[in-house]
Amino acid sequence: MGLQMLQVDKHPIIDHTYITQRSGEMVPPTLAQESSRAQQRGARQGEHEPRRRRARLDVTPYVLSSAAALYLALFLVLPLGRGAWLSLTDTRLLNPTGGDFVGMQNYQDLLASGNLPQSLGLTVVYTAGTVLSAVLLGSAAALAVNATFKGRAIVRGILIAPWAVPAVAVSLIFSWMYNPDNGVLNRIVAGLGGDPQQWLVNPDLAMFAVIVASVWKVTPFVMLVVLAALQSVPEELLEAARIDGANAYVRLRAVVIPHVLPTIKIVSLLMTVWSIRRFEIIWLLTGGGPSNATNTLVINVFREAFQNSRLGSAAAIGIVGLMLSVAVTIVYFAAERRAGRDS
Amino acid sequence: MRTRPLARLGRALVLTAMVVVAGLPLYWLVNTATSTNAELYGGGQSWLPHLERLPQVFEVFAQTPLLRWLGNSAVIAVGTTALSFAIAIFAGYAISRFRFHGRGLLSFGLFATQMLPEALVIVPMYAIFVTLGLINSMWGLILANTAFAMPVAVFIISTAMDKVPYEIEEAARVDGARRLTILGRIVLPLVVPSLAAAAVITFFDGWNEYLFASTFLQSQEKWTTSVGLASFIGEFVTPLPTVFSAALIFALPAVVFFLLVQRRIVGGLTAGSVKG
Repeated sequence: MGLQMLQVDKHPIIDHTYITQRSGEMVPPTLAQESSRAQQRGARQGEHEPRRRRARLDVTPYVLSSAAALYLALFLVLPLGRGAWLSLTDTRLLNPTGGDFVGMQNYQDLLASGNLPQSLGLTVVYTAGTVLSAVLLGSAAALAVNATFKGRAIVRGILIAPWAVPAVAVSLIFSWMYNPDNGVLNRIVAGLGGDPQQWLVNPDLAMFAVIVASVWKVTPFVMLVVLAALQSVPEELLEAARIDGANAYVRLRAVVIPHVLPTIKIVSLLMTVWSIRRFEIIWLLTGGGPSNATNTLVINVFREAFQNSRLGSAAAIGIVGLMLSVAVTIVYFAAERRAGRDS
Repeated sequence: MRTRPLARLGRALVLTAMVVVAGLPLYWLVNTATSTNAELYGGGQSWLPHLERLPQVFEVFAQTPLLRWLGNSAVIAVGTTALSFAIAIFAGYAISRFRFHGRGLLSFGLFATQMLPEALVIVPMYAIFVTLGLINSMWGLILANTAFAMPVAVFIISTAMDKVPYEIEEAARVDGARRLTILGRIVLPLVVPSLAAAAVITFFDGWNEYLFASTFLQSQEKWTTSVGLASFIGEFVTPLPTVFSAALIFALPAVVFFLLVQRRIVGGLTAGSVKG
């Protein structure tokens, strides 16, 4: 079998980097590798393996990854399976093991009541708002900080700091800043001649307020990752472009952006799945209110489980949230693979 | 680098705006912690912080169990980092260096932890922990946090190892070195900056975590700072400056520690270590 598969190596269309030499099984790119694929193509470490080693089964990788695999089985597969099963039962909080099988009843009820579509829509709004703002601001900040200027270390420090602030502290700070009577935000608004707002109480503003607090916390992460990519832009390339007379804008478009784009894509994906499941900031700022205005899927799960005591129904909402994340990820990697094939 | 004055002015404006937006909440945290309750609720919170009142921040240790909470948070954070590393270094190396059956599945599983809402797994996890006697135990919380922190460490470590040329290892192998020796003596030293990045990220995962801690730790003396701080929200008994003092003391080591190593993080994520 091994010999036959080695033939595939020469196939001109197939992206060889995703084919295992031993079995021919397709290996999807790992998250981390995807970001550095462009630079690494042709230098895959696996291809340096001496060929004779492939003849017998090397147990080393299985031993090395066994702890991680066991961990995933215990903390991912097991709870997930249990959650999926729960979603098909009418289990209550007070009797977590005593539910009866009800089929798709929970899903039907959630759809019929409008709870699930509303919560799904709010999750999309929250996620889109947070990710777009954080990626744009974070990339812009990375570009601005990448240059040399006086006081760069201090500026960089201030820009990074929010990421290190614990989510609970973020909620505390922002809930006080949003305070309608004594909050600093309304003082600033009044100072600029505007009307004070009930930031977390007005259903039209609550989602915006929650997104702002979230963006404040997560943007530095984008900045750090993009900054790292920016610093790995080969100086020779920039110098060559400069000698060819390319101005800053052209250099940005022709050299810098292509180099950091894979990083920006992967950080956007991470931001998206993290936003879909974000809990603390929303929960501690609004608890999902006012009148469900910030009731994202994850908040909805928690309320359904621990306030309404319906574990089965809560699990059903959780499964929908998980499916949203999975769908985003699948679409992302499918698009990446297609782009990789076209190029 | 030559830059035109106009571009420099534009950048200065953008940077100033960003620094103000990023810094205001932190500034207000310090400002509120050094105010008095009367000032805060009388609409008279000063724009400038009363830095001369900074000592009042430390009164929080006498008024709340903050010291105990901080200790608990530190135990959780260190435990989460240590356990994550014990798993992630080997898994990261396997994913980076080997093509094996189930490698794709493992990578996918690790990524899947990042899209799994904790709120979904918390109910089944609670049931499992009751069976194992891990409720109200620091160990239980470390185990749960590691499930979400460890995969991130694997990503960072395996990406860093991808950039270490395989030839370096082959040379060592020719000299007869064993795999684990190569990993410990040659590969890990080359990825130290990335290990630092991974350590910071896993540490803060444990330090900051709230949902598991608030669900699994029931007795107040086991609370982490996150749970303790959250208990102040909407409570109105504890004066707000005291609450903000606790928040300040909770956030400060995290921010300082992070800023200390961030240069190495950024350096580590770039390929600098390979070139040498």
